[in-house]
Amino acid sequence: MEATRTRGLRVPRGAPFVLPYLPFLIVFGIAPTIYALDLAFTNAGGGWVGFHNFVRAYDDFRFVPAFKHILIYTIVWLGALMVFVVGLALLLHGRATRVSATYRFLFYIPGALAGAAAVVIWLFMLDPTVSPGSFLLRHVLGASIFAQSIAPGNLPYIFAMIAFWTAAGGWIVVMYGALNTIPPDLEEAARIDGAGPFTIAFRLKLPLIRKWIAYMLILSFATGTQLFVEPEIVQHASFGLVPDTWSPNQLAYQQAFRYADFNVAAAIAVDLLLIGLLGAVLIVSRSGLFRAED
Amino acid sequence: MAGVSFEAASKVYGDGTRALDKLDLTIEDGEFMVLVGPSGCGKTTALRMVAGLEEISEGVVKIGDRVVNGLSPKNRDIAMVFQSYALYPHLSVHDNIAFALKIKKVPKAEIRRRVDEAARILDLEPHLKRKPRSLSGGQRQRVAMGRAIVRQPQAFLMDEPLSNLDAKLRVQMRADIKKIQGDLGVTTIYVTHDQVEAMTMGHRVAVMRKGELQQVADPIELYNRPLNMFVGGFIGSPAMNMLDARVERRNGSFEIVVGDVRIPLDETKVAQHPGLSAYKGGRIVLGIRPESLEDAALAGEGNGPRLRGQAELREALGSEMLMHFTIAASPAVTNEVRELAEDVGDDRALGQLAEGPSARASLVGRFSPQTQIREGESIEVAVDARALHFFDVDSGLAV
Amino acid sequence: MGVRLLGLGARMAILLVFAIFFVAPILWLVLAPTKSDHALVTSSPFSFGSFHNVGLAWRHLDAYSDHLYRRWIANTLVYSLSATAITLAISIPAGYGLALGKFPGRKLILSLTLVVMIMPAASLVLPIFLELNALHLIGSVFSVILPFSFFPFGVYLAYIYYATSIPPELLDAARVDGCGEWLTFRRVALPLAKPVVALVFFFSFVSNWNNFFLPYVVLADSNQYPITVGLSNLLASTPSFNPAVGGGGQTTNIFKPELALATLVAVIPVAIVFLFSQRALVRGTLGGSVKQ
Repeated sequence: MEATRTRGLRVPRGAPFVLPYLPFLIVFGIAPTIYALDLAFTNAGGGWVGFHNFVRAYDDFRFVPAFKHILIYTIVWLGALMVFVVGLALLLHGRATRVSATYRFLFYIPGALAGAAAVVIWLFMLDPTVSPGSFLLRHVLGASIFAQSIAPGNLPYIFAMIAFWTAAGGWIVVMYGALNTIPPDLEEAARIDGAGPFTIAFRLKLPLIRKWIAYMLILSFATGTQLFVEPEIVQHASFGLVPDTWSPNQLAYQQAFRYADFNVAAAIAVDLLLIGLLGAVLIVSRSGLFRAED
Repeated sequence: MAGVSFEAASKVYGDGTRALDKLDLTIEDGEFMVLVGPSGCGKTTALRMVAGLEEISEGVVKIGDRVVNGLSPKNRDIAMVFQSYALYPHLSVHDNIAFALKIKKVPKAEIRRRVDEAARILDLEPHLKRKPRSLSGGQRQRVAMGRAIVRQPQAFLMDEPLSNLDAKLRVQMRADIKKIQGDLGVTTIYVTHDQVEAMTMGHRVAVMRKGELQQVADPIELYNRPLNMFVGGFIGSPAMNMLDARVERRNGSFEIVVGDVRIPLDETKVAQHPGLSAYKGGRIVLGIRPESLEDAALAGEGNGPRLRGQAELREALGSEMLMHFTIAASPAVTNEVRELAEDVGDDRALGQLAEGPSARASLVGRFSPQTQIREGESIEVAVDARALHFFDVDSGLAV
Repeated sequence: MGVRLLGLGARMAILLVFAIFFVAPILWLVLAPTKSDHALVTSSPFSFGSFHNVGLAWRHLDAYSDHLYRRWIANTLVYSLSATAITLAISIPAGYGLALGKFPGRKLILSLTLVVMIMPAASLVLPIFLELNALHLIGSVFSVILPFSFFPFGVYLAYIYYATSIPPELLDAARVDGCGEWLTFRRVALPLAKPVVALVFFFSFVSNWNNFFLPYVVLADSNQYPITVGLSNLLASTPSFNPAVGGGGQTTNIFKPELALATLVAVIPVAIVFLFSQRALVRGTLGGSVKQ
């Protein structure tokens, strides 16, 4: 039945339940997007300036380096996710569920600490004087003091590691759950057909969780390009060694609050938005996410 | 308690499909009316329109004397039993049954009284504190019934409540439901696709097809005097055999020619079918119920009409022998026949129909269990010429 | 057989290495406040110092800027809980309406929610700041609570849950039993939504607690900071990593142990919610795909 008529009044079923949510959706979801687009194409007085803000943003000497940083970061970040998250999920799947559950829980714990707390912990981890990993720091990064750990060349990898540390656990749980939706009969059939564990993992399981891997990459790509917390906090701790415009989002923040140039800031935000969407489209088309057969 | 009536009630969807087309049906107060037909015939739609779960596109539905178009379900004073039972998983059996009464703010003492009585009638007393997920299918069905009974509504609406039960349980529940309805005397509309349920439970049965009412009558009438080919073929199992035949007049009496066999009709029979003369020399669909066919060797009088055929398959039921055989005649090939085969899932018959006109027709007969016929034999089959049915080839209407 | 054992060994080794990677920093964090600043540098990273040191570290932390740390924790609790309360109140019914309702614009609202969901909050923070400014909300706690309350992922979770777990016939039964639309929701749909309420509570609370960017942008007064921004404030104005800071004039006793303690205490509430939601969480992520 499409509607309930009470005393002649026809109320579309379900609509009143969605009503309280709508103002929030509009005010904090839709309106800011439109507002950001508006700001990006106008000047401080509100007049239309076409792509002028985008050009000005690009001309800033910090613009290109910021995007270079984020490019390396995103590649490392997504690569680590793809390889380690999927790999660990595969390793955990299929045997000894008790042990597997314990490991999943351990991997998951850092997820509670996302954001500032996680970064602070890693600041300690990167300080060779107190870190339990000081051996690694000295030999892998060649660092004997904190300032050397956070040398500019290391930053993309460090940030990727921190982000991975907090996010991996959650995604491993999701991938594990996805692997659990594969009917066990398929695996048995493959094993009877003579497939070894590697073959089963790469040719059977992996393609079947393609959809979930794509979701993970899409969401992570978008959040990755918008990196802010990690570089900002490291910057506070580094006594100026790390610039406060390392990532594009930081640059946008500085443009808005140091130079009060909201239009250029919005232009950068729109750039990031477009990159996120582009990444989503690319990943969707390459993974065949919406193919009918699934 | 009240009757329910449909007056030219229709359900039209956005794309123009008419799920229900101008239904005119009056259900008397206290009557047990069964709506039966293949899936998609509109029976569930009609039921839901009475419940208020489907909008009424055209026409009027009345409960008692009240027009209920536009009234929400909660204001209609009807109770419904769903095919999946739709029990509230988070409530105990007791609370499931008491739910509607709590909503209507019936006093606690009254609720207790009514729930206890419903539980007694349905044998649910030991289960009152349990949750639905720990109950068997039959128990859940009874809880769904309890939920309806306790409401003391103007009408019970039941949507295929027995289809999820196994066969033995279904037989038991059929009798239970019929008894309860008889005891309580509440107007009941019962939807099913199983014609055995329809025949055994209803005071009257309404056969529906593609949104249209075909015939409404008591079960015996429906069986003996189907108004059209669809009803004739739908009611009765095994289904009525439909054959292509011709009506001929010879020496002042009527004969039905089917294949190479001539079946003469006596005067009483002809008097029962006055419309037959219009078909003189023309084609007609001949309907023969399986029980009107018998092994000629056991049939008795030696000069009745005989069909000659080939025995294909025998199914021994113990009380009778179902004999599948073919004769040299054409089967009736019409939309009704096709639809009935589809509904039963008879792929073999559908395949044969698709092949086009054929020289041999497959029939089913209910023979005496004493028959000696074996598969593959040539046989002679006696036909009870008093029990033949005739239908118009184009309109499907009974003649 | 030997190959299998080798494979098993390699598998165990890899899992162990990663387990250490994930857990070691946290272990370090738990043990750090028990040592003095000097001991952190000299003794083994996983050694246990003394509880006395913990007490000392706490006193120093609490003394920072007149109990500012306590205010930060209190702020974060208020922001997170109120926002999560609002989120639950608007998202669960919205998911219900979107999944089981039928009204014009339903698909549109669903699509918009999905699109906004994959759009990272960061790109919207600056426009939201300007909006809040125009509404004169900058400076009030609502500048944080209201944006936090918008949680499209929660709506999506509720939508998926209702679409897959509640058969529409159940709601029909309630309607026939005398429930109007509101009662149908309150007495049937809502009681059955316990798993998804737990899920949304978890994700919303954790997301609010850990949120940095929005409060960083909209809050100017350090008394209003949540703990995330507070930590970065501590970092910037104390000598742990910036040896030059905190020298002239004011003496803050915030060194590494204090900072570690600050981080640890900031993490505890979320860890508690985490532990309690673990079961609901794992079941929930599989919920949509497992048919009962």
